[in-house]
Amino acid sequence: MVLAARMVEEQTVAQTQPTPVEISLRGVSVSYAVGSTGRKPGVTKTVLSNLNLEILAGEFVAVLGETGCGKSTLLRLILGQEFPSTGMIVVDGKQVTRIDSRCGYVPQKYSLFPDRTMIENVMYGPENAYCGWLGRLLPSYRAFKRKLRIQAEEQLLRMGLRANDLNKYPHQLSGGMQQRVAIAQALMMKPPVLLMDEAFSALDPSTRASLQQQLREIWQESRPTVLFVTHNTSEALLLGTRLIVLEPHGDEPLKSNVLIDMPLPQSSDTISVRKKSREFQELSEFVKRRAYGSHSRYHGDQPGQETRSLGDSL
Amino acid sequence: MSAIPVVGHIADIQGRPRMLWTQSLSWVLFLIGIFAYTQFSIVRHKENPEDRVIPSGAQLWQGIKASVLEPAEEDDALDPGASTYQRVTHSMLWKDTVSSSRRFFIAIALLIPAILIGLHMAVFPYAEAFFLRFVLFFDKIVALSLLPVLFIVFGIDELSKIMLMVIGVGPTLMLDTYNIAKSVPREQVVKAFTLKSTNFDVAYRVILKQIMPQVINSVRLNLKPLALFLFAGEMIASTDGLAYRIAIMRRHMGMDIIIPYLLWVAVLLFGMDALLRVANRRLHPWF
Repeated sequence: MVLAARMVEEQTVAQTQPTPVEISLRGVSVSYAVGSTGRKPGVTKTVLSNLNLEILAGEFVAVLGETGCGKSTLLRLILGQEFPSTGMIVVDGKQVTRIDSRCGYVPQKYSLFPDRTMIENVMYGPENAYCGWLGRLLPSYRAFKRKLRIQAEEQLLRMGLRANDLNKYPHQLSGGMQQRVAIAQALMMKPPVLLMDEAFSALDPSTRASLQQQLREIWQESRPTVLFVTHNTSEALLLGTRLIVLEPHGDEPLKSNVLIDMPLPQSSDTISVRKKSREFQELSEFVKRRAYGSHSRYHGDQPGQETRSLGDSL
Repeated sequence: MSAIPVVGHIADIQGRPRMLWTQSLSWVLFLIGIFAYTQFSIVRHKENPEDRVIPSGAQLWQGIKASVLEPAEEDDALDPGASTYQRVTHSMLWKDTVSSSRRFFIAIALLIPAILIGLHMAVFPYAEAFFLRFVLFFDKIVALSLLPVLFIVFGIDELSKIMLMVIGVGPTLMLDTYNIAKSVPREQVVKAFTLKSTNFDVAYRVILKQIMPQVINSVRLNLKPLALFLFAGEMIASTDGLAYRIAIMRRHMGMDIIIPYLLWVAVLLFGMDALLRVANRRLHPWF
């Protein structure tokens, strides 16, 4: 009860503070034909239905939901990689019509360019942004590149890479290191919105915990708007300032997929301390019960695995 | 504690042959080939010492010397006092190699646009819509069946032979590049656009750069079809070239020249393939 009251209070506080809206989804639905062959039309499958979301600047939104509920589709829509069947998406004040640099993007894999070293991967974005093709011919380009290299090195070292890893190619480093570089690569562009699609799901628990901590610190420093898609309930609750749980679309045509949309309690404690608190455990149970109902055994990365304590799942 | 056995059973998938074994085994088929040839040659020469079908070692050596040091029949004879360098650079083999290589490299240069068209088909949806169906159809036309058309359109000079190679290999190379470029993960393209890339950046700095090693491998695989089309053109209408010489020698049963020429062509293609392989490794250490 105390927890619920606190959540309502925080929601009220969030509503009274005038914060600019960074991402806005208005009546967004996505459906496509499945199994159409030649002239025979297939069955229409609705992935997202009547979605209305306003995400404020600087929010860290964790998106949870079962497989097939449209989490990744939501991200692709905001990126401009896919388009809604109906409705409109606005990012940073402009309607999304194509992929551009308003959003930084960290996918689960294939994030880094395999033909570039770690440092070149991180320098790639700013080089495009500030030089272009002709800029590379200017005499000032070399000085710019030297300065950029220093910045990129600082960013990578901050993300936990060693100095002798900077000139290695992605295939020479572990998945965890690659994801660190992928985050650094996206952050170098200082995007107003950072979209992360199960970015930590392929990592081992210790690397995952360390990256969660780093991401949280980075977000606290520069406050980009983050949309973090995950399968992991604990991860969503520990990182986010707001939780959105999507459910697979049922038969009701106008029913929205959003099952839960609520602010999350914040604390100055570190992630490792927070995840052991009673409040966190209660909240986690609440979300699991609401989100997965009878499937409440599923709250980790691997569907079907037995329920474990939240500490273990991280 | 016993060490891991390095020599497994001969049919063992998990076998780990020693370096000496792998090196030795790789030469066995060459040795068997040489041995079989020698035996057949000996048998035929016992029946007929003047046999020209399977020339003996001595006949082959004479053939090699004639190819490398003497001018072709149709050319003027060299001054008897000419140096070895002059003899080599005016020889039949040299002249034919230069002619065939020129055609071969011009064709390879003309195939670069095919690679770029394949890339554009994969990257730009409008280019895909424009080219793909036609290229898929054109690829199925047997290039050799176009030879009469090419001779009529381009004449029987160099251009028709070069065009035969380009038309024969171009569509395959286009489709191969298209498939390779299509297999680049979509995430890479999305990521590049979020990092302020232009369309040009994505096509050339992200995708082309990534697929280059595979494209070079595709060119390596197409070296033999290229040589095949070159030989077809040269054998039908030419006045010089490696295949022209083989066709001429066939009329005279000149196996002592044909066999060294065949081996020379194989060595040239093998060398070119090795060169591309090494260049690929050096230029793309990440591959």
